[in-house]
Parts: sequence; structure tokens; C-alpha cells
Amino acid sequence: MKKSKFSILTNGIIKENPILVLVLGTCPFLAVTTQASNAIGMGAAVTFVLLCSNIIVSLLRKIIPDKVRIPCYIVVIASFVTLVQMIVKAFLPELDTSLGLFLPLIVVNCIILGRAEMFASKNGIVDSALDAIGMGIGYTLAMLVMASVREIVGNGTWYGIEIPVLVDNNILIMTMAPGGFAMFGILIAIVNKLSHGKAIKKKEFGCEGCPSAAACGQAGCTQKEAAVK
Amino acid sequence: MIENIKVLIGIIMAAVLVNNYVLSQFLGICPFLGVSKKLDQATGMSVAVIFVMVLATAVTYPIQYFLLNPKGMGYLQTVVFILVIAALVQLLEIVLKKYIPALHASLGVYLPLITTNCAVLAVCISNVDNYMTATSFGGTFVQALVNALGSGLGFLLAMVMFAGVRSQVERCNCPESFKGMPITLISAAIVSVSFMGFAGVVDNLLG
Amino acid sequence: MTKTKSNNVVSDFVAPIVVLTAICLVMTLLLAVTNQITSPIIDETARKRAEAARTQVMPEADGFELLSVEGLPETITEVYQATNGVGYVFMITSSGYGGKNTLNMICGIDSTGLITSASVLSHKETPGLGSKITGSNFAGQFPGKDALLDGVDTISGATFSSNYFIAAIQDAFAAYDMVKEG
Repeated sequence: MKKSKFSILTNGIIKENPILVLVLGTCPFLAVTTQASNAIGMGAAVTFVLLCSNIIVSLLRKIIPDKVRIPCYIVVIASFVTLVQMIVKAFLPELDTSLGLFLPLIVVNCIILGRAEMFASKNGIVDSALDAIGMGIGYTLAMLVMASVREIVGNGTWYGIEIPVLVDNNILIMTMAPGGFAMFGILIAIVNKLSHGKAIKKKEFGCEGCPSAAACGQAGCTQKEAAVK
Repeated sequence: MIENIKVLIGIIMAAVLVNNYVLSQFLGICPFLGVSKKLDQATGMSVAVIFVMVLATAVTYPIQYFLLNPKGMGYLQTVVFILVIAALVQLLEIVLKKYIPALHASLGVYLPLITTNCAVLAVCISNVDNYMTATSFGGTFVQALVNALGSGLGFLLAMVMFAGVRSQVERCNCPESFKGMPITLISAAIVSVSFMGFAGVVDNLLG
Repeated sequence: MTKTKSNNVVSDFVAPIVVLTAICLVMTLLLAVTNQITSPIIDETARKRAEAARTQVMPEADGFELLSVEGLPETITEVYQATNGVGYVFMITSSGYGGKNTLNMICGIDSTGLITSASVLSHKETPGLGSKITGSNFAGQFPGKDALLDGVDTISGATFSSNYFIAAIQDAFAAYDMVKEG
């Protein structure tokens, strides 16, 4: 089952969109999508970390012993996140202020650890890099859609540009916590409708449906599943 | 003394009600949506989270104060904290398994999940950001611990409330496309509306 | 037999430790190097931003100098004096409706005791209500006022937030009296 390079790239954008289909990395997705510019910034940061960590993990996949693979991945990911933090602080201080805590929290974003475990540790460098780029673009696009709707409806602006009529009749709650939850629900419902329920219909949240279950807490997820049953 | 206790109560109330980690700060959403299906699971997970949050703060806060800051290595914060949390969770699991098997039986299954729970890392980082001053350690350390406890309690409150809401939502009939995740998210939206009402409560009650 | 055993020891204990340590070392080295490069830039950026904020509230000043004063109100985090003596700029961190120490403000008071400008740098007030204190309708009332703040109106629907703002300005005036006398 050898995938073509192109399908690896597009896989993350549509078929396995990390947010809308896999439902991974929801915390920053809800928190920073109040403005389109934040979404782009966060998306770029996540893509960068994903790309670097996928490449390094793929490069070291034969060297890293199985026992300590998770700590190794975490160190690699955390280092790149810190790198991004420093770069953003130095050159984009406004973005640093608006992303705040969610920048260091990329470390615990399941997408990145999930891709390291599920893909990069089993595939070559080129494929891993393509997978990272695809996933990154998919993540960024989903964030951008969400942020655009929330910014236009909630604030009457898009990317900081004021939209006539809407700017005076904004529905503020869209930019607050409840608007984030509700909009996310509606987005997933639309994806459900468009794919006729094929995409995520019966898939569950969290660990039961988490594709990175094997990665996240080592044996934790399987244990928990057993406990649930 | 009374003034100090008032401050600490204020911190707890702010963390539980006003700045609820799940419902107003969007932290720890994955377990909030994933493990809130049954009440006993929700409680077990939350208790484990409270435990790890306080413990992680108790360990990372001194590390930052005595190790990273004096040596000018503040930039290693993220790396050090996540490794400490991961190690701590593993250690806690081993200790519980060996010495308190009863507790391990009820909390053990949730512990490994907590490593990647962003709320734990968030509470450690924001404690350092918000409470640490260069001059005093003791007082701010207590405040940080109390904040960790409050954040954990806030998580518990949100989880338990939402588990209740969810058990009702599951029984309802809703449009096909909204079944499962979407309707859960929309119920979460409504629950979080109720928490917006707490803004400003704490300062005006205790101030 | 002995050989397999020693192999096991190597693959079970030594290899994981060596690899993990090596990865940690390499990554830390990478971060240390990046930190060397970026930390001066970060400091410079932060300094420039703070300088720009101060210049904005007091455009006549040609530069600022940090004063160290004992016994300031605890909400006043920093006091700057304009090098050409046209006034003082106060950095304020006070409580807001959104919680303790959430309202960050900057206020400039000139040498005659009138506000040059007062604005909110960051806040956690309720969006749409309390957040109106950042708007020019409210914050715009302050320039030109003295310590009595005559004729300042609070925002209806955001009385608490308005009062936090006013209290912060009063703290700035308290600090102003101290630095002016001393």
C-alpha cells in the first residue's frame, strides 16, 4: 500500500484534516481563532514545529530505542516549540502577545506527537516532511475558516479590515468562549452534512477515537478502553 | 493573616469560577470532551488532574525559581516543564501502584493521559508568569499552589457539570448531522455561557 | 550466553539512556545558540515597544529615565521622568473587573499636573461592555484633566470598569505627588 507523494500531501488537507476530521489539537483551535491574523500565526507556528519534528523523528527513527521513544519525541518537539517561541518574541511581538500561553502549549498539541508516532517513525524523511506540510496546511486552513467566521460575525472585521454594516452590528459572543464552542460544533456538523456522515459520524472524542491513542499516554489509552469496556 | 486567607480564597474562586480553565480559557478540552460521558469517569479524571496539577506546580515552581532563573536559563522552561511533568506522572503511577493500590485502581488509568493534558502544563507556566517575583519565594509559592488547586477544582466542576448535561443530551433527538460531536460542542457552548456570569464576582465579593 | 546477556543490558539500559541524553544535549545546545542570537533582539524589541508606548502618551518628551522611588502605591509598577522635564509617565497594573492585576495602563502627567494621555495597554474586562474603557469616548476624556478629574463620566453598563480606570489614574496622581516633591 504505497502512497504517492501527492496523496500524502493532500491527505492531511482534506481526508484526514487534523481538526475537522481527526478532532485533534482543539484547545488552541478554540482559543486563538478570534482573529484571522492569529489563526495564520498559530497555523504557521504549528506547521513549523510539525515539519521540524517530523523530519528529525524520521531521521532518527532507526536510532531511537523503542522504550524511550516518547520522551525523545517530547524533547525534540519541546525544543522546536521553544525555538518558535524565541523567534516570535524577537520578531513578531504582537503575535506573541495575542497567542500568549498557547504558543508554549504547542508542545502538548496531540497533532504533533500523533504524527511523530503514527507517521514519521515509520516513514522516510521526504514522506514525513510532506505529511507534516499537508497536516500543517490542513490545520491552518481549518483555523482560518473558523477565525474568519468568528472575526467577521463577532467583530465586524476581517484581518483587521472593517466591514461596513457588520462592524456596527457585531455579535460579540462569537469572539468569546461560547461562540468558539458553538461555531466548532456547527463546522463539524457542516462537514458531516457535506460528507453525508462518512467523515466522522460515529467517531468519538478523546482517547476512544483518538488516532494517536498509542502515542499519547503509552499504554494509558488501551488500558482505559479496556476499563471502559 | 485574615487578609492573606482572603487573598487565597479569592485566588481559588477566581480559578474555579471566573477563569475556569475549560469553559473560559479553552484548556484541557480534549479530556473535557473525551472523558465526560460518564459521571464516575469524569470525577476520576478530574481528581487525577487536581493531584497532578498541584504536584507539578510544587515541583516546577521551585525549579524555575532556584534553577532556571538564577542561571539565566528561563528559555528552557517549556522543555524542562514538560519533561518534569511526564516523569512525575510516571513516578506517581509507579508509587500509587506499589503503595496505594486502591487509589491506583480508580485513578491509575487516567494518569498517563494527563501528560499530554495542556491544562497541567498551562497551570505550571501561568503560575510562574503570574506569581513569581524575584524577591520572595514562600508567599508566592503558596499562592501558586492554591491557584493550581483552584484550577484543578474548576476542571472538576466543569467536568461533573458537563457529564450531567451530556447524559441528558445523549437521549435527545437531534438532526442527523449534529449527532455526536457537534451537539456536544453546542451544549458546551451553553454551559460556558453560564460561566460568563461570574466575571467580576470575586473582586467585588472579597475586595 | 554471556554475550546475549551483555547485549540485553546494552539494548535495555545503556542504549536508551545514551540516545535520550544525546538528544537532550543536542537540542539544548541548539536552544542555547538560538537564545544567544535572539535574546538581545527580544530585549531590544521589548524596550522599543515600551519606549514607543511612553512616547505616545507624552509626545513632547525627548527621552525617558526610570526613577526609583520608595513607597509608591502598589499599583504603580514604574515611573519614568521625561529627560527634558516636561512630565512623568506612570506604568500601572491594577485590578479590573476581570480579576486581580489584569488591568495594565499607562498614564502621562505633565509638569503642571495635567494628564497628557491615559490609555489601557492590556485588560480582561468584559468584551463589549467593560472593554469600552479602551475607546476614545472614555479614555479621551482624561487628557487635560487635573487630579480632581472634574467632569469625567463613567460608561453606563460598565461602571465598575470605569471606576477601576479612574482609581488607577488617581493612584498615578498619588505617585505624581510623591515624585514631584521628592
